[in-house]
Amino acid sequence: MNGPGDRPKGLILGGTCELALALAPGLIEKGFFPILSWRDSDGCGKINAALADYSGRYETVRFDLGDPLSLETLFAKYSGFDFLVDFAQGDYETLIAAADEDSIRAYFSENVAARAILLKCVARGMLRKKRGRLIYVSSSAAERPAPGQGVYAAAKLAAEALYRSCGLELAGKGITSVILRAGYVQAGRGRAFLEENPEIIRQVPLQRALEADEVAEAILFLLSPAAVGINASILTLDGGLSAGKTGIIKH
Amino acid sequence: MDILKILRDIIMDIMDVEGQTITAETYLVRELGAESIDLLELSVSINQHFHITVKDDDIFLRNFRLFMVEAERRGEAPADYLGARFPFLSAERIGEILADLEAGPALKIKDLVSYIAFRSKG
Repeated sequence: MNGPGDRPKGLILGGTCELALALAPGLIEKGFFPILSWRDSDGCGKINAALADYSGRYETVRFDLGDPLSLETLFAKYSGFDFLVDFAQGDYETLIAAADEDSIRAYFSENVAARAILLKCVARGMLRKKRGRLIYVSSSAAERPAPGQGVYAAAKLAAEALYRSCGLELAGKGITSVILRAGYVQAGRGRAFLEENPEIIRQVPLQRALEADEVAEAILFLLSPAAVGINASILTLDGGLSAGKTGIIKH
Repeated sequence: MDILKILRDIIMDIMDVEGQTITAETYLVRELGAESIDLLELSVSINQHFHITVKDDDIFLRNFRLFMVEAERRGEAPADYLGARFPFLSAERIGEILADLEAGPALKIKDLVSYIAFRSKG
């Protein structure tokens, strides 16, 4: 069967990242219809290659937080979504005192203001249906940034606050939210970082990074009816990293 | 299109207003007790039923008092200044609201009707 039919339809923002591509098959198999966003044709090709076995059971859409017109196009095509999983996050590593001023403005405009506008549009669509689930995939860096992650962490904390407030304001209307703070994951930028800094894993009580599939499974649970009580909350999925003092753990 | 009739059905669907008569003159907040979440739902439903883009600040006259203060500061006549900010309201209606503000939020069902009619024309 092609197209969503009556399956719950969800926007997967940042649909080209490894975590999104690990999540999509699970969504499809559980009867959801994911719509994965991409920013350029390479990204679109990457999604289609990864999901070649699932033709007709997902869609892709061009959407770029940095491009307001793409928001209009998105909502001209889709009147609403049943859920949103948001992986999108621009990378900007710099010491705050060294940051370029225009880049700071652009980064917050894209990652905070544009995200708030997207959330407004998604939430209004959900209000029409009187149901919806909003999941924001954040990072343990939101709480504990490394030097150089200040702008990134500030944008993550701001985005977390937006999602939390949506869950606070709209739960009575059937729309809930949850924030998942992922720690070290063997995927995307996380993998590159771990390859350069393998010793960092010794700081994680679990003594390993998480796999993309493990994060995907956690998200699938958060989308299930059993998890609806987890609303306007921040969950941490970091193998215990943020629970204790940093430093090398001696066993 | 009977805007008032459709609007009344929407309000009865969203809010707990059983037993209350809803006319063009009914106050949304003062009489029906609309809260911000009700107004949000109302805005979403108006958008859906009438196929118009709704600016919540405009339709619910959110910045009416702020614009009054602004007019005063600039030395402009409040009625004219407000008329330019809320082009869907008649001069007569703006006068009514100015005289009525002391008693609480002046937003009436007929203001929503005016907004919908105005936006539908555009």
